[in-house]
Amino acid sequence: MHEMSIAMSIISIACKEAEKDGASSISNIELDVGKLSGVMIDSLNFCYESVCKGTLAENSTLSINEVPARASCKKCNHTFEIDSFMALCPQCESYEIDILQGRELKLKAVSVN
Amino acid sequence: MCDTCGCGSDSTTFRKHGEDHHHHGDGHSHNHDHHDHGHSHDHKHTQDRTITIEQDILGENNLLAQRNRGYFEAKNVFAINLVSSPGSGKTTLLEKTLATLKEEIPSAVIEGDQQTMNDADRIAKTGVPVLQINTGNGCHLDAEMIHTAYGELKLQDNSALFIENVGNLVCPALFDLGEDKRVVVISVTEGDDKPLKYPTMFDAADICIINKIDLLPYVQFDVEKCKEYALQVNHHLEFFEVSATTGEGMETWYNWLKEHAKV
Ligand SMILES: Nc1nc2c(ncn2[C@@H]2O[C@H](COP(=O)(O)OP(=O)(O)OP(=O)(O)O)[C@@H](O)[C@H]2O)c(=O)[nH]1
Ligand SMILES: [Mg+2]
Ligand SMILES: [Zn+2]
Ligand SMILES: [Zn+2]
Ligand SMILES: [Zn+2]
Repeated sequence: MHEMSIAMSIISIACKEAEKDGASSISNIELDVGKLSGVMIDSLNFCYESVCKGTLAENSTLSINEVPARASCKKCNHTFEIDSFMALCPQCESYEIDILQGRELKLKAVSVN
Repeated sequence: MCDTCGCGSDSTTFRKHGEDHHHHGDGHSHNHDHHDHGHSHDHKHTQDRTITIEQDILGENNLLAQRNRGYFEAKNVFAINLVSSPGSGKTTLLEKTLATLKEEIPSAVIEGDQQTMNDADRIAKTGVPVLQINTGNGCHLDAEMIHTAYGELKLQDNSALFIENVGNLVCPALFDLGEDKRVVVISVTEGDDKPLKYPTMFDAADICIINKIDLLPYVQFDVEKCKEYALQVNHHLEFFEVSATTGEGMETWYNWLKEHAKV
């Protein structure tokens, strides 16, 4: 379950930043998780709970913004929303698409006190 | 085992074939030490506030992967990351490849498995230097582990490095190791819709090897359909159809390797 290492990285980055700021605890961590990021949100939430114990982020909440995926067609340049890697262009039905957005896995902000 | 997060990454071990002792490495970077608040902060802030971070969560791994990539480039090491479900034939493919090419392409191997030295022992029989990483509970290799591993292996200039990832078609997809090419192996006993079921892995690969084609007469597996599905996920994929046991189709794979590993 790679969500465990992802959760550990989140806590590690968040705690480092919170400490730099002199915070005594973290109340919320905000993430962007792309639809095609390969991370299962349920699984991430589950891992997060066990990983945050004993850190500044203990008892904190995780706010996840799901980023929709978008692609552009290499043949006709049309850009459109997709919900998987094997989407086809709704305009010309080509599979040759470039993914523009949806792979995000980003720590946006940390709320501290 | 790490008692802060219970992740078990501290149980990662690195072992060379024939060596009894092994090293422990912390595969992931942890900051637990910093979390022990023995020291006092000056509490000038007491208000709730939000710190903007905007940082890639995999940023640290990506950075380490780039460091590996730079090292490989400087030494002219052609690095390949082999990923697949358990049992698709990664080790067999490597055994065959090394037995055939080791005189032409000086090579080294990093084996990733949760447990056992079995794969490293198999590779060692070819005479090629090999290091086994046992990830314990970990389901993938990461860039830090590779960095530790090639330090132990002492890579030659102008060579190839084959990394066999942990058999798992999900987790290794997200972790760049610094490789030149990522190769996903699928065997014909797995079903031709694998690319549709595990698209993230096929999206992240450069090459797709369809292995065990000697078994095609006995299984329901449409090679063309499988390729079509894989191309729907990633239209850049290049394919090889091989049997690692009979050697069928391996010649084109060898030629590709010789062309890319400029040794
Ligand atoms: N018939 C046939 N069997 C093969 C072929 N390649 C591998 N096998 C068999 O498949 C089984 C698994 O092969 P391995 O090479 O150990 O597979 P792997 O991907 O390294 O497995 P893990 O490291 O456990 O993920 C063994 O019994 C191999 O003999 C092939 O081309 N044809
Ligand atoms: Mg193997
Ligand atoms: Zn995983
Ligand atoms: Zn189009
Ligand atoms: Zn840990």
